[in-house]
Amino acid sequence: MKTSEGKFQGVWTLGEQRDGEISSVSYELLAWGRELADKRGTTLASVILGHNIKEKAESLVHHGADIVYVVDHPGLEHFAPDVHAAILEKLVREFMPEIFIASATTYGRTVMPVLAAKVETGLTADCTELDIDQETGLLIQTRPAIGGNVMATIKTPDHRPQMSTVRPRSKKPLAKDESRKGKIIVKEYPDELYVSKVKFIEFIKDETTALPIQEAEIIVSGGKGLKDVKNFTLVHELADLLNGSVGASRQAVDMGWIPYSHQVGLSGKTVSPRLYISAGISGAVQHIAGMSSADVVVAINNDPDAAIFKVCDFGIVGDALEILPVLIERLRERKTINVKGES
Amino acid sequence: MRIVVLVKQVPSTDKVKMDEKTGTMVRSAMEAELNPLDLYAVEEAVRVKEKIAGTEITVISMGPPNATYAIREAIAMGCDKGVLLSDKVFSGADTWATARTLSSGLEKLGQFDLIFSGERATDGETGQVGPSVAAQLDMPALTYVSKIREIGDGRIVVERAVEEGHEVVESSLPAMVSVVKEINEPRMPNLMGKIRARKTEVTVMTAQDVGLDSSKAGLTGSPTRVVKVFYPSLSRNGTIVDGKDPEKTVEKLLQFLKDKALV
Amino acid sequence: MEYKKVTPGISEELRKIFGDRNVLTEVEKMEPYASDEAGKQYAHMPDVVVKAENEEQIARLMELANREHIPVTPRGAGSGLAGAAVPLYGGIVLSVEKMNRILEIDEDNMVAVCEPGVVTNDLCKAVADKGLFYAGYPMSVEESYIGSNVATNAGGAKVIKYGSTRSHVLGLGCISPTGEKLVLGGKRRKETSGYSLLQLMIGSEGTLGIITNVIVNLIPPSNKTVDLLVPFANFDDAAKASSSIIRTTKVYPVTMEFMDIFSVRATTEYLNLPPLPAQDKAEAYLLFTLEGVDQDELDELAEKAGTACLEMGALDVFVASTRTESEKVWNIRISMPTALLEKWPHVLTGDVVVPRSETAEFMARTREIIKKYAKVQLEFHGHIGDGNIHSSLIDTGNRTDKEWIEFAEEAYGELCLLGSQLGGTVSGEHGIGLEKKSVLRQSLGEYPISLMRGIKKVFDPNDILNPGKIFDLK
Repeated sequence: MKTSEGKFQGVWTLGEQRDGEISSVSYELLAWGRELADKRGTTLASVILGHNIKEKAESLVHHGADIVYVVDHPGLEHFAPDVHAAILEKLVREFMPEIFIASATTYGRTVMPVLAAKVETGLTADCTELDIDQETGLLIQTRPAIGGNVMATIKTPDHRPQMSTVRPRSKKPLAKDESRKGKIIVKEYPDELYVSKVKFIEFIKDETTALPIQEAEIIVSGGKGLKDVKNFTLVHELADLLNGSVGASRQAVDMGWIPYSHQVGLSGKTVSPRLYISAGISGAVQHIAGMSSADVVVAINNDPDAAIFKVCDFGIVGDALEILPVLIERLRERKTINVKGES
Repeated sequence: MRIVVLVKQVPSTDKVKMDEKTGTMVRSAMEAELNPLDLYAVEEAVRVKEKIAGTEITVISMGPPNATYAIREAIAMGCDKGVLLSDKVFSGADTWATARTLSSGLEKLGQFDLIFSGERATDGETGQVGPSVAAQLDMPALTYVSKIREIGDGRIVVERAVEEGHEVVESSLPAMVSVVKEINEPRMPNLMGKIRARKTEVTVMTAQDVGLDSSKAGLTGSPTRVVKVFYPSLSRNGTIVDGKDPEKTVEKLLQFLKDKALV
Repeated sequence: MEYKKVTPGISEELRKIFGDRNVLTEVEKMEPYASDEAGKQYAHMPDVVVKAENEEQIARLMELANREHIPVTPRGAGSGLAGAAVPLYGGIVLSVEKMNRILEIDEDNMVAVCEPGVVTNDLCKAVADKGLFYAGYPMSVEESYIGSNVATNAGGAKVIKYGSTRSHVLGLGCISPTGEKLVLGGKRRKETSGYSLLQLMIGSEGTLGIITNVIVNLIPPSNKTVDLLVPFANFDDAAKASSSIIRTTKVYPVTMEFMDIFSVRATTEYLNLPPLPAQDKAEAYLLFTLEGVDQDELDELAEKAGTACLEMGALDVFVASTRTESEKVWNIRISMPTALLEKWPHVLTGDVVVPRSETAEFMARTREIIKKYAKVQLEFHGHIGDGNIHSSLIDTGNRTDKEWIEFAEEAYGELCLLGSQLGGTVSGEHGIGLEKKSVLRQSLGEYPISLMRGIKKVFDPNDILNPGKIFDLK
């Protein structure tokens, strides 16, 4: 839609749910939305599509929304890309938000491009920073480009809504405030709108208990400097001790030391943990692109000129195979002491 | 069955170098290749072709004239036809305009049962073009597909790799399927494939050929605008210590982590 | 040979020369310096390990070692396969791991000057940033040091087109065994000024001097490459194809490698990778790289060479033209020695080199020879385009270290003899070290060895520097 097609106002966030429970990314996104709405001097609305979700909508208000648009229907129990996009299109065309953001999850990254295509507007993927231009009131969307080598600032001047997906974990949710009051608007549509070409069959839950690296608070990553698959167990050990997840460089994955789902970087996953420890990783641009938004980076590498040292908070020029065992030993000792102290 | 694979030619990523002062890519150091994540889409398409007789695969890309090399790489792996949408008016396109251009090309080429794409390109990294094309052509977007369980009789059953697990869905055809790396192991093309690819004519189509209004293409047709590109100051000016004495170094590290409340 | 031990007094003196942090005396810290990739069966503990940071320290070390009569064994990354870095008589191991700076990339003269501990790959990358190319490329490029490449005259995959390390070294700075500074060659490209001490030093395996800096030649890079991976159903067809492809097509590859099915299986299993194409049908693979100025030339070369392969019985010809595909196949080839050494405790990596035309004959007769031994697996991989096949022996009979060394020497001796008969020699690129001393003597005979001993005596009158390597002292 063009700006000329009417008056667009308000900031929207796309809520997510699974099995009737609102996902935590929805609250993170509200923190972004609140900031933008306040800067723009407008209201913040959240949209949630699902089944048996009505009762839960209140919690979106408690986390910062002024308005919640709820569409609750058995046909929305599972994600059907065509139906979800069609309903979002209805809502957008009716209420005409100025800004609409979603999390860069598999849900957000699927439904938002479809929606953007339908309403003919721009969509900026995987933003790390959002702001409002004080002069024009436009949404300023910042994302890494060309493999994280540069940052690009992107605007959507003439089309509405201005849409983007935002990297998960890029903001902490606001504290829950149960005294907050907001408007809950339940929308209903004719049944035929819920008929999808896509039918849900089953969900197979991952067996592993460790968090996927995109969601991990602490990541210990290993690379080629660990020399072989046996030494890579040091990375697992350290990650276990820190209750973190294991990451890896592309080389380590290519060597078959660890599955692809653990690869950090351009052709792998983008992560933003509180602590990122890299061992034996030199820091190719592709790798750095995937981890540079970590809060704290610790790097261990024996090449003092390794690029990873430029992006770390604490760097150790040394052999990871010498450092890791000592670090693991010390952490184990502390753990034992703590356990003893508690008992 | 008629299948199309959306591909992109990207800079060979190890060669990407940035000019620190200007924040632009050093083009001289650049080589191009078929987006590595597209190889999985091509492979999956070829596997469907091997299973279902009478299948024809068209590879389509929007890009500069030399992007025919990327298309030929896909043909060498077993695709049948190549189409390159190449026109000066296409340049500067964002994902919406790219999808619009590709969709126009596909509409011109007739009906397709399946559209494959890679998860995303390793340069732009948006992953938006596949779903956007699906929307423009009114097909369901089956994204993050890690396995095709069944295909045929106008339907497809796939597993989608989503947060916390795999979602199994069935869709009618036509549909758009974007695949993730775990779906297969792409084959290496053989000499016969290479020779065939060299001999295969890649159809080059312009905006006029696909009947696309140039106001909907390229930079002009793009809703988004890159207003600034800057070199991020990734540098954290961290403390660098000599790790020759592991014991002492680990003490320092633990102190650092304690100060940051991380242990 | 009687040497003195390192006493606490001498350790103290070493600490003064190298600083406390560069002197290791704890057993567990010295352990990694006791052996190289030739295997633990050749290990010998040093008395002390010192890490040099500059040439001056090395000169002072050699003065001290001569005075006290303590052997010094120079050491690079420890990736050698012949035991050349093992401190056979204890004493002092001198590591150059800290001398790892690239001192200069001189674009006018197209040379690079670097310290011996620079990892070869780092040098390759640094010069590539300047749009230049270092053509020396040992398979251990990601770990081995440039100084050690010079000391062993390392070969690798690209020798067929570019020659071994010797072809790329223009100059060296050395410390002689008696502690003298020695400057050999330089940035210049010509020299007929007396005996070439430079060429003598290259490949001398740290017995004639300690390399303190290296000047290498650089060339402009070629534009594009393509790799052909060619499975053959029949082992002999693959072996024969290697020389006939070059002869009949006149397509000259940059690399031409041979991998038998045993080594391919062992490596893909070790790396936990999916099988190579046609791995269930092939007995052997050829892997070769072609270079061309543009895509069209490359396509034509690939077509010519590939068609020739098919005519010679190849099952198929796979073409790796993207970086991703190329890295995938080379990763397997490069990891081959590591995979074998990790999977079996006793591996003797053969290094015989014969004229290219004789490789098929050499491999066929080697298989015949080994048939008579029990509990040994024969494996072939290597640089077939150079005639340099690593016909490795693998212990499948749980021999003791001593039994294995004795067995391997005998069996490998036969292969070396065969190699000599076919116009070859006992080591193409790994060097003699201590692993192949006896086969060298058998194949060369006494007189050449006595000349080598004489040269050694002139450089090193007290037999202090890396004693017991290449040949025995007396």
